[in-house]
Amino acid sequence: MKNKVVSRLGTGSKVIVLGVWLLFMIFPLYWMIITSLKPKNEIFKFPLEYFPKHLSFENYANIFKISKFHVYIGNSLLVSLLSALIVLVVAILSSYVLARFTFRGNKQVMTGFFLTQMIPMFIGFGPLYSMMSSMGLLNKQGALVLIYSVLLIPFCTLMLKGFFQRIPASLEEAAMIDGCSRLSALFRIILPVMKPGISATFIFAFVQNWNELFLSIMFIDREEAKTIPVAMNSFITKFDIDWGSMSAATVLSIIPTVILFALCQRLIVQGLTDGAVKG
Amino acid sequence: MNDTQARKPRRLSSTAIFIFFCLVPALIPVLLFTYYPIFKGIVMAFQNYSLFNLNDIRFIGFDNFRTVLQDPSLPTILKNTASWVFISLILQFGIGFLLALLLYKKFPGRGVYQGLIFYSWAMSGFLIGIIWRWMFNGQIGVINDLLLKWGLISERIGFLSDPKWAMISVITANVWYGVAFFAIMLMAAMQSIPEELFEAADMDGAGWFKKLFHVIVPYILPTIITTSALRVIWIFNFPDIIYAMTNGGPANSTHILSTFMLDKIVFNGDYGLASAIGVIAIILLLLYTMFYLFATRASKAGDF
Amino acid sequence: MKKKLFAAALLSVTAFSSITACSSGSTKDSSAGDSKSETVTLRMIESLTSPARTEVIKQMLTKFEEANPGIKVELISPPLESADNKIAQMLSSKADLDVMEVRDSTVKQFVTNNWVADLSADTANWADYKTLNNSAKLTANYIDNKPYYIPYGLYEKILFYRTDWFKEKGLEAPKTWEDLYQAAKKITDPSKNRYGYSFRGGKGADSYIVDMIRDYNGANTNPDDAMFLKNGSTIFSTPEAKQALENHLNIYKEGAPKDSLSWGFSEMVEGFQSGITGMLIQDPDVIDVVKQKMGEGTWSTAAIPAGSSGLTHFKVGAAGWGITSYSKHQAEAWKLVSFLSSPDQNKFFTQKTGLIPVHTTAAEDEYYKTGYYKPYMDMSADTAHYIPVKPETDYKGFGEWRNVIQQDTQLVILGKLSVDDALKKWDAYWLNEKKQGK
Repeated sequence: MKNKVVSRLGTGSKVIVLGVWLLFMIFPLYWMIITSLKPKNEIFKFPLEYFPKHLSFENYANIFKISKFHVYIGNSLLVSLLSALIVLVVAILSSYVLARFTFRGNKQVMTGFFLTQMIPMFIGFGPLYSMMSSMGLLNKQGALVLIYSVLLIPFCTLMLKGFFQRIPASLEEAAMIDGCSRLSALFRIILPVMKPGISATFIFAFVQNWNELFLSIMFIDREEAKTIPVAMNSFITKFDIDWGSMSAATVLSIIPTVILFALCQRLIVQGLTDGAVKG
Repeated sequence: MNDTQARKPRRLSSTAIFIFFCLVPALIPVLLFTYYPIFKGIVMAFQNYSLFNLNDIRFIGFDNFRTVLQDPSLPTILKNTASWVFISLILQFGIGFLLALLLYKKFPGRGVYQGLIFYSWAMSGFLIGIIWRWMFNGQIGVINDLLLKWGLISERIGFLSDPKWAMISVITANVWYGVAFFAIMLMAAMQSIPEELFEAADMDGAGWFKKLFHVIVPYILPTIITTSALRVIWIFNFPDIIYAMTNGGPANSTHILSTFMLDKIVFNGDYGLASAIGVIAIILLLLYTMFYLFATRASKAGDF
Repeated sequence: MKKKLFAAALLSVTAFSSITACSSGSTKDSSAGDSKSETVTLRMIESLTSPARTEVIKQMLTKFEEANPGIKVELISPPLESADNKIAQMLSSKADLDVMEVRDSTVKQFVTNNWVADLSADTANWADYKTLNNSAKLTANYIDNKPYYIPYGLYEKILFYRTDWFKEKGLEAPKTWEDLYQAAKKITDPSKNRYGYSFRGGKGADSYIVDMIRDYNGANTNPDDAMFLKNGSTIFSTPEAKQALENHLNIYKEGAPKDSLSWGFSEMVEGFQSGITGMLIQDPDVIDVVKQKMGEGTWSTAAIPAGSSGLTHFKVGAAGWGITSYSKHQAEAWKLVSFLSSPDQNKFFTQKTGLIPVHTTAAEDEYYKTGYYKPYMDMSADTAHYIPVKPETDYKGFGEWRNVIQQDTQLVILGKLSVDDALKKWDAYWLNEKKQGK
């Protein structure tokens, strides 16, 4: 059994390693949660309180009062999900072709995609803004979806290509001999096997979009179309950072990704181990 | 790519159409919304392009590059960039790989555990930066408070104001953020290792060490190579955490190429200089990638 | 079959992207189109944003819309950190924008790029223009002697200090920078986590260093071109400059938290109001913030300390509202700007945000005559000792300079650059700026 590989590391040391790492990872979250539950005047009270005696939900109420946080959550969900879905469809097609066929230009396309990862996008943002402005695309959520998708296509293609390559071509060839078209072989036979890779890529795309700040600030003016990162950024004022609101918003903003991750995790764990490949 | 060489010429035309239509939705938008603006951005590297005077945009050859290369802080910045990238990468990868191995086998509460250690991935670099800046604060920061409480230090440490600590602090935040990426990607890759390979290894009587290096690593090597190559590039071009935590300070001790570039935009409004720094970054990354691909191709693993 | 499936997939991809490219905009456009005939919508952007301030501005805009039924105002409030970048980007691509926040630090850029309208014609017929105080007029007309914006408030630094700590040590509010150093030293007690001064070593450190150097140069400093002396050399070229910088370093070393090497605005203020530092030099908008957190009785304000010659140089900063050069609704935009700048509205705004008002009528107000704002009145009354200087914001290299001096001073503090070399470098920087012209 492959499990032995891991079990021989020793359960004890495993627990210690995982435990230490858990503490390190969880502390900032704990601190954010504690802060978000402290009344405003106690956040900076010394000595610092690690287990606040009286909890208050004032900060949570406040972010919905001073800003339209529910609207931002909706906007962020819409933009991030839609864009992640589009990228996934586009990238599955392109990565499949790039993984399975040799043709003139294959290498160039890959290099071209790879290059985009090297370029500090900042230098293109100015011209991109002028371009979007002249195309009349500013201030539209659709424009954000479009740009987010485009920016992720190269990476998701590279990522998925790696997953495609790990799946033997014999799999779909067998299906095609059985009378499946290439496309239906792709969707019916290969994609189910690719679930782990696809889920990981999808989460990745979603998270990138969910957190994107700069373009969202540049392209969106309207209060009603703002996304969560922009709203959170405005808690940073000249005087200080409104940590009460910021921590409450932080806690709320990571919930959707954590849920999404929990959902997709099953898919990641599934995959080839289910025996799909053995068929 | 080897398997495709068997394709028969007679299918070429319909295959070509298939290829074409599968690539178009990816290629056209990328060309239009990524390459075109980037091209215009790169042109600025050769221009006098300052937001302070946009009426005076003109080509000035390599002047911007000269200015950047003559900047006395450049050697420090390059050195910082190297430590930032490689220390972050090694720690992120090492810990991520270890976690992937440890989490590979099911155990009760694994799902919850993963949720608790992967959530950092769901946050933006900027947010992570300001949270860690707050926690690392030399006066009111919770980390100093804890260390004092536990008696580990007697005087507060200026994590972000002491050049000895600043780089360590920003890297800590970056590792905290980036481990999840490796762990998730490597776990996903490990999940797809066919059972047969392990069974075969078991039959050979291989120990875990052997299995690790003869089954797991070879099988997920493409993922390792792709993810670490991309990760280097991202960390290189990732100013968010540093910008939020130290803004490159104190005294340039955490200044990296990408924060240097941002500085030129924020303080100088000089897109020409910023763009020149961007081009230098691209050249460095290209050299790195060529070297990396050459080195990994030698082991017959990478396939971009 | 094969082709159909493929076509369907392709169609869905393209349809997806085309739908999303224009979906959300359509509803907005149609509503704007309907009412366009009778209503003018002004688009206005602010830069020094905070949720609280945005709320104040919105209240004023509501009042404006009530008074002007034909005009609607759409306020754009980008997050503070990215606001300047966004505004520049919008202006450079002539995005739909009518009124914007213009500051002393951005007006030069806006004028050079021809982004901001000259308001001379409007101010000529504006009754309230006459009651603008001198500083407001000066800052409004700072570039080319034309009013490119109407300030909504003035910034001028004062000293905040802990009266309780000062009493404890038998100290008085410092009169000179040397006093400040001595006081900071006496108050500092790391074991209590108590320090003398909210030192600024991070972003924005420039003005603190430069102000002190000007004061040490005393009467030699040229108030009209304050990076230079009256004899034409830079303020960094004198032995006094060295004294000033050394005093600055001593304050850090003996009277400030080590961590303040990287402090910016928010850390300084936080340091003071959370009881870590005993002195803070800041703008008037901090008064309100400190009042909220610290209450009355433990702190007070005083005038800025002087150099050894007894002179204090101070800079009046300003921010206000301007109109884009290409606005299609210049008349309506002016209506808005003049409304926001009227004595009533300005009083409302400055009291809410803690700024110094721009109309002379406000000076008679008790609110500013007594209490925490009193040092401002004292400073402006004592013209022999408090000398206003023109800011260096009209030099091209101003933005870069702020970064240069901040980084260099950190290097000096860390011992990686000598005081003399730093001053030499800064001297050369400004000689070069002078040569290049404004």
